[in-house]
Amino acid sequence: MDYTLDIGAVTRNLEPLFQGLAVTLQLTVAANIIGITAGFGLALLVLSRFAVLRVPAMLFVEFFRCTPAIVQIVWFFYCVPMLFNVFLGPVTMGILALGMNLTAFNAEAYRAAIQAVPKEHLDAGIALGLSPTQRVLNIVLPQALRASVPVLLTNGIGTFQQSALVAIVGVQDLMYQGKTLATQTYRPIETFTIIALFYLAVSFPVSQIVGYLERRRGLAVR
Amino acid sequence: MNAMSRDTALVRITDLHKGYGPNIRVLRGLNIEMKPGERVVVIGPSGGGKSTLLRVVMGLEEIQGGAITFAGQPYISADGRKTRIDTEVRKKIGMVFQHYTLFPHLSVLQNLTLAPCKVVGEPRAKAEERGRAILARFGLEAKADAYPSQLSGGQKQRVAIARALMLDPQLMLFDEVTSALDPELVAEVEQVILNLAAQGMPMMMVTHDMWFARNVASRVIFCAGGVVVEDGPPEQVLGDPKEERTREFIDRVFHIKG
Amino acid sequence: MSLDFSILLKFADALALGLWMTLKLTVLCVVLGSTLGFLIGLARASENALIRVPASVFVEFFRGTPVLIQLFWIFFCLPLILGVELSNLASATIALTLYMGAITSETFRASLRAVGREQMDACTALGLPRRVQITNVILPQAVLLAVPTLLSNCISLFKESALVSAVGMADLMFIGQNISNNTARPVEVLTAVAFLYFVIAFPLTRLVTRVEGRMLRKLAA
Repeated sequence: MDYTLDIGAVTRNLEPLFQGLAVTLQLTVAANIIGITAGFGLALLVLSRFAVLRVPAMLFVEFFRCTPAIVQIVWFFYCVPMLFNVFLGPVTMGILALGMNLTAFNAEAYRAAIQAVPKEHLDAGIALGLSPTQRVLNIVLPQALRASVPVLLTNGIGTFQQSALVAIVGVQDLMYQGKTLATQTYRPIETFTIIALFYLAVSFPVSQIVGYLERRRGLAVR
Repeated sequence: MNAMSRDTALVRITDLHKGYGPNIRVLRGLNIEMKPGERVVVIGPSGGGKSTLLRVVMGLEEIQGGAITFAGQPYISADGRKTRIDTEVRKKIGMVFQHYTLFPHLSVLQNLTLAPCKVVGEPRAKAEERGRAILARFGLEAKADAYPSQLSGGQKQRVAIARALMLDPQLMLFDEVTSALDPELVAEVEQVILNLAAQGMPMMMVTHDMWFARNVASRVIFCAGGVVVEDGPPEQVLGDPKEERTREFIDRVFHIKG
Repeated sequence: MSLDFSILLKFADALALGLWMTLKLTVLCVVLGSTLGFLIGLARASENALIRVPASVFVEFFRGTPVLIQLFWIFFCLPLILGVELSNLASATIALTLYMGAITSETFRASLRAVGREQMDACTALGLPRRVQITNVILPQAVLLAVPTLLSNCISLFKESALVSAVGMADLMFIGQNISNNTARPVEVLTAVAFLYFVIAFPLTRLVTRVEGRMLRKLAA
């Protein structure tokens, strides 16, 4: 190839990249706080006996699971200000868009984990004379929450990666800074490779932890 | 003629040692000589190595010491760290497991014909004909094209027996084959085994059903702590055991039974 | 503001064209990607470290970085390295195929592992040679077990394909955004785009649930 690598072009400009990484991490952490809490509430709505609660909750979940994240983000940035006449600043908007997406996916994870608690355990709870609330608090939730941890982590890291999409609507995250730098320096190979490694450096350890948790769980179940 | 070929035993197990990892020793120098035509039922407390013994005889496990011969031929031996298993000899032995282990993606008939077609290269039409004949004998001809998930537990286990018989084994191993079955399905499987016994099929089995053991066995072996504790005809071992440990075990089992 | 969804009628043809491109790209990359994924899945199960390790590094890299970067990398960097021009379609196909290969290889690997130890014991007891064990017993079950997750992978790819709009490929998202910008009617147009993705992805997710239940019942023998 007629292209000489010049890593220096990137390493001389690390500061904007670190600023971008800070924004990316901010988006990720905030979206995860929303997703982990609101996702649980939404899962309870999805499992509700009352159709008034259940149907809208299911629609919310299915909408976010069945459309591309980039469509959701672009829609959110263009349409919410027009429809509701508010704009909260790009990072906040990004957090809300990513947070709602993660809420839907986490709700699904919680729901699956709650429904995976064996019915025999509930029967045993009845046989032991536990009240319905006690059965949920002492039997269902402890098992379900533990079971959902690997999926929540996987979803969380998915949101970290998906946060790169907000660069498209102009939020100055790691992806945005990388793209700007690549254009300014004409050094796409070095820049994109290095920001890819940034992302990998955060994702990889978490995915290893997930793998470890799943293996441990697999052993425990057997 | 050498000494080996004059061996009249069908299976000769000599000083068998088997463990899992460095700390768990399951079989500790076990000796059994099984003669042709014998039907050996192995009984004993759980953890006593009964199922492990059957799995070793099937050639599914590594061993740490000892040797097994089959019809006078060397079959399994511990050779330093490695276990030598003669896979040609292994083909003469069939085994049925507790959890059926039918291949779920194959129909009943395909389960039966897979090994004959692939191992001995029997023509498919021929194998299917034999397969249908065996199924008919077991009252399962209507299920030839069903899939395992469409069968009851008792039917699955009878298919598993039929599958093992397709290779004309010279010895059948049954590892707690009725333990996973609902009580009302146990009889149909035991009947099939009793019929095989009546036809003179040599067999070695592990079962918790003492009534069945007494009916099918020509010899009962009580295994505990990884060695043979008592060995004799069923009426003696089950009815009037000589060893204290056997007596305790039998008393407990029959006491629970009723 | 007043919404006027009737403007969508004017652009129905353009949106249909975009959707057609999205579907074509998805199907193409599903076929190429799952073939690649199957091979990588086998490579990751290999006992030879020279085969296993590169395959694992490939998968971790593609699963550990945003698809958008992968796409940009292929789009901007690969032509520089290879010294040839790559069309939009070629770059997008390469990027999505590699992504699909990485995620489906995990699917195949997990399903290979899910075929239980007892099935292997039964093979040994029947004297089946290793080759027959693999081709007649392990692989068919692994593929059947993989089907539901593979379908989910296809849905993911269908959704991720919207990213190619960011490098200027005229897929459904790209055309939708263009119309939205030109007409200044993002609410109507982008909602319609989202709806189009939804009506395709949603039935597929239902299908996954049904297929999954059937496979589990069928293979629960």
